[in-house]
Amino acid sequence: MAEEHQDQIYLQPIPVRIWHWLNAFGIVTLTVSGAQIRFPDYITWLGSYKSAIYLHNTAGFVVAISFSLWFFYYTFVARTMANLYVPKVDDFKSGILKQVKFYFLTYFLGWENPHHPTPDSKFNPMQKSVYLAIMFVMMPLVSLSGIFLTNVDPLRGLIVMVGGLKLLAGLHFLLACCLIAFIPTHVYLATLGRTPTDHIKTMWTGWEDEEEGHKKEPEGSTPTVSS
Amino acid sequence: MKRNYELNRLWIALLVAVFLLPLSVSAMEMDDCLGCHGYADEVGEELFIDADKFTPTVHAEMGCVTCHESVTDEHPYDGEAVSSADCLDCHEELGNQYIATAHAENAVCSDCHNPHQVYGIEAVSGPEMNKQCSQCHEDADVMASHAEWLPQASLHIAKLPCITCHTSAESYEIILNITQKQEKEEGLTGYRFSSYADLKKYSGEKEVQRVIDIDADNHISLAELRTFNRNPAYSDLHLSGTMVPNEVSHDLSTLDNRYDCTFCHASGPGSMQTSFLSFPTEGGTYRRMTVDEGAMLDTLYGTPNFYMTGSTRSAALNIIGLIIICAGFIMPIGHGTLRFLTRKNRQH
Repeated sequence: MAEEHQDQIYLQPIPVRIWHWLNAFGIVTLTVSGAQIRFPDYITWLGSYKSAIYLHNTAGFVVAISFSLWFFYYTFVARTMANLYVPKVDDFKSGILKQVKFYFLTYFLGWENPHHPTPDSKFNPMQKSVYLAIMFVMMPLVSLSGIFLTNVDPLRGLIVMVGGLKLLAGLHFLLACCLIAFIPTHVYLATLGRTPTDHIKTMWTGWEDEEEGHKKEPEGSTPTVSS
Repeated sequence: MKRNYELNRLWIALLVAVFLLPLSVSAMEMDDCLGCHGYADEVGEELFIDADKFTPTVHAEMGCVTCHESVTDEHPYDGEAVSSADCLDCHEELGNQYIATAHAENAVCSDCHNPHQVYGIEAVSGPEMNKQCSQCHEDADVMASHAEWLPQASLHIAKLPCITCHTSAESYEIILNITQKQEKEEGLTGYRFSSYADLKKYSGEKEVQRVIDIDADNHISLAELRTFNRNPAYSDLHLSGTMVPNEVSHDLSTLDNRYDCTFCHASGPGSMQTSFLSFPTEGGTYRRMTVDEGAMLDTLYGTPNFYMTGSTRSAALNIIGLIIICAGFIMPIGHGTLRFLTRKNRQH
């Protein structure tokens, strides 16, 4: 096993990978069914309106469950949630700027990525900020508004309190659009590894190739395997 | 010439007498009848007529003897049974429509309609309409049979009059009612229809409809709806919308298209243009007022609590959503192009 993964780093543990692909599948399903629910006069991909609604509700449930799995794993098992997702002072001071400079300038000149992922610091400062907004603001809000929209009658009082059903439905729709907009960017950035499929393979197998000059000695319980 | 003039005067006098006489007689007779039948302790519950509910009806305008024609001046001392008209004498078309349904085997007209409390569809609230149905159809059974196929069955049943779907009416319109938070002492949470007395507390000296119809023109404009929705004094009130058939039918069959969700949920903004606001009246009925076209589709302040997926989507939000999604392609397309053009720089 160790031989097989020489020069590789175990970056994405199984719970994270299960969550990621469940989430990905769920969000695509939600997008397709959501489109039919909003535009039934133009879109009939899933057959009847009823099947689109049932599928949307089921996919929403799956995404909410996988979100809980993600939250539980990082908070209570790996205990790296704050470290991974919350940007540090240095990230704001220089990290984000450095990363933006890389993506939009030095990358084209052939320079190396200033951030090297490790299990304890998987995301570069730019990723951290974006994921923080997505995972801690957008995903909870879109799920919560979805839960409200599937339980309109029992939650009527709360719905009126937050500004009405129409505002809630509008918020759900716009948040969904933001998350959908993130998909092409996310998939594209995933192709910026050493080869276009490098990062995608990592999200499937868990192992990422160590970059030259950044190999680390294994330490403590970190399952990093290196030469 | 003078003779002609006198003849004309005689004709006019005769015509006036012909038109006014029955009115004066029926008005007199209704008062006479209600003199006894308006008091339950005099005639008993069965023969009691609630004058407040009867007087505003079309049947009251016709007078008691129109239907009870055998009644004599000696009633009740003549010992004669009083005749009652057959509903079908006047309502032949609706009656025949009803007789052809399975319902007719189980219920006669008066099982659902109290002839002394008949109101047009516009004067009855949705829950009031459903009371007739729930006399026979148990709530639990209705819920169970709908839940078998209808998504959000409880929401549909709570919000819609049964006859919105169980009718042969081809189209529908939107009715808005003012609802308010239930008081704790009422023992329930949620919202209930505001009564005339409830709204009177808000309108004070003015008529209750002035809560929304500020300029008293008997029409609700979008600006008036916005003012109502933004007014902090009305924070406990909100407008609840529902669909009702646009015509009365007694063919209680369910058209096939009602099983297709998109009959309502994709009928598009066009059908969402017509709406009415229904105000409670002092007599316990409702009075409709027309609402500006497009109020149902106003994103934030027109009708913030009326939303039907698929039908009341906002065009402005659709455009914003499309711009957001398109923005997601800027990175792959822009960065991807530069990446392709500078690919030689990374060949090391």
